[in-house]
Amino acid sequence: MSARLEAEHLFKVFGRRPDEAVERLRQGADREELRGDGTTAAVIDASFSVGEGEIFVVMGLSGSGKSTLLRMLNGLLEPTAGRVRHDGQDLTALTDRALREVRSRKISMVFQHFALFPHRSVRDNAAYGLEVQGVPRAERERRADEALALCGLAGWEKSWPDELSGGMQQRVGLARALATDADLLLMDESFSALDPLIRRDMQDQLLELQKTLKKTIVFITHDLNEAMRLGDRIAVMRDGRIVQTGTAEDILLRPANDYVASFIQDVDRSRVLTAAAVMDTDPRGDEADCACETATPDTPFTELCAISARVPHAVAVLGTDRALVGVVPRQRLVGFLGDEDAEPTPCRNEGGEDGKKVISRA
Amino acid sequence: MPRIHLGDWVDSGVNWLVDHLSWLFDAVKAVMEGMYNGIDAVLGAPQPLLMAGILAVLAWWLRGLAAGVLAFAGFALVDSLQLWDQAMSTLALVLVATVLALVISVPLGIWAARSKAVSAALRPVLDLLQTMPSMVLLIPAMLFFGLGTAAGVVATLIFALAPGVRMTELGIRQVDADLVEAAEAFGTSPRDILVRVQLPLALPTIMAGVNQVIMLGLSMVVIAGMVGTGGLGGAVNEAIGQLDIGYGFEAGVGIVVLAIYLDRITGALGTQLSPQGRRALAKAPTRAWSYRPRPVVAVAGVVVLALVAGGLGIFGTSGSSSQASGTNVGKGKRITIGYIPWDEGVASTFLWKEILEERGFKVTTTQYAAGPLYTGLATGQLDFETDSWLPTTHAEYWKKYGKQLDDLGSWFGPTSLELTVPSYVKDVNSLADLKAHASEFGGKIVGIEPSAGEMSLLKSKVLTAYGLDGAYQVIDGSTPAMLAELKRAYARKQPVVVTLWSPHWAYSDYDLKKLNDPQGAWGKGDGVHTLTRKGFTRDNPEVGKWLKNFSMTEQQLTSLESQIQRAGKGKEQDAVRSWLRAHPGLVDTWAPVAGRGSGSRAAG
Repeated sequence: MSARLEAEHLFKVFGRRPDEAVERLRQGADREELRGDGTTAAVIDASFSVGEGEIFVVMGLSGSGKSTLLRMLNGLLEPTAGRVRHDGQDLTALTDRALREVRSRKISMVFQHFALFPHRSVRDNAAYGLEVQGVPRAERERRADEALALCGLAGWEKSWPDELSGGMQQRVGLARALATDADLLLMDESFSALDPLIRRDMQDQLLELQKTLKKTIVFITHDLNEAMRLGDRIAVMRDGRIVQTGTAEDILLRPANDYVASFIQDVDRSRVLTAAAVMDTDPRGDEADCACETATPDTPFTELCAISARVPHAVAVLGTDRALVGVVPRQRLVGFLGDEDAEPTPCRNEGGEDGKKVISRA
Repeated sequence: MPRIHLGDWVDSGVNWLVDHLSWLFDAVKAVMEGMYNGIDAVLGAPQPLLMAGILAVLAWWLRGLAAGVLAFAGFALVDSLQLWDQAMSTLALVLVATVLALVISVPLGIWAARSKAVSAALRPVLDLLQTMPSMVLLIPAMLFFGLGTAAGVVATLIFALAPGVRMTELGIRQVDADLVEAAEAFGTSPRDILVRVQLPLALPTIMAGVNQVIMLGLSMVVIAGMVGTGGLGGAVNEAIGQLDIGYGFEAGVGIVVLAIYLDRITGALGTQLSPQGRRALAKAPTRAWSYRPRPVVAVAGVVVLALVAGGLGIFGTSGSSSQASGTNVGKGKRITIGYIPWDEGVASTFLWKEILEERGFKVTTTQYAAGPLYTGLATGQLDFETDSWLPTTHAEYWKKYGKQLDDLGSWFGPTSLELTVPSYVKDVNSLADLKAHASEFGGKIVGIEPSAGEMSLLKSKVLTAYGLDGAYQVIDGSTPAMLAELKRAYARKQPVVVTLWSPHWAYSDYDLKKLNDPQGAWGKGDGVHTLTRKGFTRDNPEVGKWLKNFSMTEQQLTSLESQIQRAGKGKEQDAVRSWLRAHPGLVDTWAPVAGRGSGSRAAG
């Protein structure tokens, strides 16, 4: 997986004497110290790379600097320090004109509040990027209609944005971004303004589209569940810094610090985890020798629980060539749900065995 | 506090500009007058009712049938009030001022919307333009651009600029920042963001600004009328000057018709121009009165009417009458006469217009307030005027402009200045009687314009001479206000003392009593002088001679004035003509030509 987009030590400081502030930040000054001087450090030393066809999610609460970070990736904001490389090209070194050219052809963006042009029809909205590129009318309308159809809006071309529901408006936003054939898609809390059912639909649709389009996507969200669902990799931001980058499972299983840990408390793990994350990778070797049901490393957690309920012993996890790669004891499943990885302590009651353990804390 | 000589600085600044940048002002003036003349010619060319039809079709197209019918009715009313030409020239003036205001204000507004510094710098300037009393700006405008259209356009423009800038800035700033960011994110250049996103979305606000510009422009036409732009503004000024309520109302109604028409049309235009507005219109159910023809039909209608108008225009114009060669002294030379709307001024001005036209000159007469009249004469934009009260009443003007003017002497006099009471006030016959009756008059003397020579004379000399300083307060106001007060008090038989002068028509309309001046505080009476620009007599020796020798008797003047009064507005010259027919030989007496009426040169 080659890196399409690389961010190297990005800083963004608003306020007076930003360069000085960056220097102080490099020497370990924190955000609060700078705030006293009237400067705001929005993004501090952010580095990451996004591979081709990857969905990279930046997750953080409001004020964490994630939107600022996103806007540096297409040059809407100029980094105070650091570099952004897209496709090998250093965006921070480009002239305004060249940067606009890159934005119009290679990078497109989907916004939180849709940002559709109210004075343009749905078709003209979807064709906007192509219009900026200077594509002739007939061709840009054809391509806009294709993009709209891809997003499930065939037949709505002549409508106006204010006639559509929120979800449909965001589909127009998505179609507008897809129509330009840009390979990098920046999505700024694109589904946050939608109600939960629609949001889920849109997430599904994005994943479905991604299977065929294979865009490089940077997705901003404050919703960890959304991040876990969409992200191939996730960066967690706090107070302008990226505190952890990793896959959903990395974040869930190996939170880098207490902040991330507290963040993931509310996550519905059963939706995120797969057998691979839960299994004991050090099996005895004979667990799969019976005729019982087995799982694969990709089996979702909930399904694993179902299998475990039907199988009298630990569930065997089989790899690609049906080789045994791990086992999942029921104890482990329960432990993951309760965020408890300690071994069970022996029961003091006489004859107390695992199965009869008294639940003391109801 | 030391005195800051702000006024002096402004004075010298203006003088410097007049001296050094006159080429620029002349160029601007040429552009404005060119635009104005072009538009006025187009608007004024067709028959009034045809033009009303064209304007009505426009309204029909943009707003619906009801609007079209009402527009036609409104303009037909203006025509029937015989104010059509004035209305069209006012319309032309407002259109020129609006176009120029938009050309200046929209780019400024865009600039201000993009730069906080520009916005901050512009704001006080706009405040100044908008709130500085327009008369204050009118005088420098006149010095820069001379009398007439250009000064009027500039005064209107300055006043109307501010809402154009403000609304444009506001409209652009109001455009959702998300949309601008979206456009940027797709690589739109700043210029295209303006054209594709900001301006279309700001359009409704900008159109509201355009609307304001037009409305403010219309509200300025009366003020602009004071510097000789003519039109409805001039008509209103004339009516005010002569306390003619009915005529003033008619001219006012003309302005209102224009205002409503322009307001509704620009409003509808705003809706038509913005895609959202068009969509809303398309959704609204169509009824008979809101039925709108399609653009093709409307354009066709306008074209047909315009063609008919053009055709009628070609066949309708009558040939100009030829002049008898013997009396054709002027041979088409142009002469411009300015006048103050005082009765003797109107009478003598139209008398000379008629005489000079009979002698083959092309004469234009324009009405001004006294200040602009002197300025225009001093700067050589006017050739002469016949209504200077010297040496007393107009002493201030003479002091300021006398060096740039030629005095051809008095043609009527002596005049007198006086305080006057109605005859029903029994006990007061002399200025000396006033002191004892102060309470009866409420301690008030109803004055006229504080700038008038008579007023300063009254305050500085007359009050002191009769010990009235403490007892009476002189109310500053205007001549029309003084006459209105006199009329009101007279109708109720209340005691009133007013500042008046002779000759004045009030003495024939009301039974009034001039208060005697035993101490001679008012000084000797003025003569009514004819003043010309420097060099006029050199350029026009015959006319100069005629004017120098001109004089009228009181009987002649009053009979001419009353003839004009009876004829009514707009028919001054007809009145002069019939008066001259009743007094044969006067033209040859006043403007003798070799071979005709010889020997009458000595008259005067």
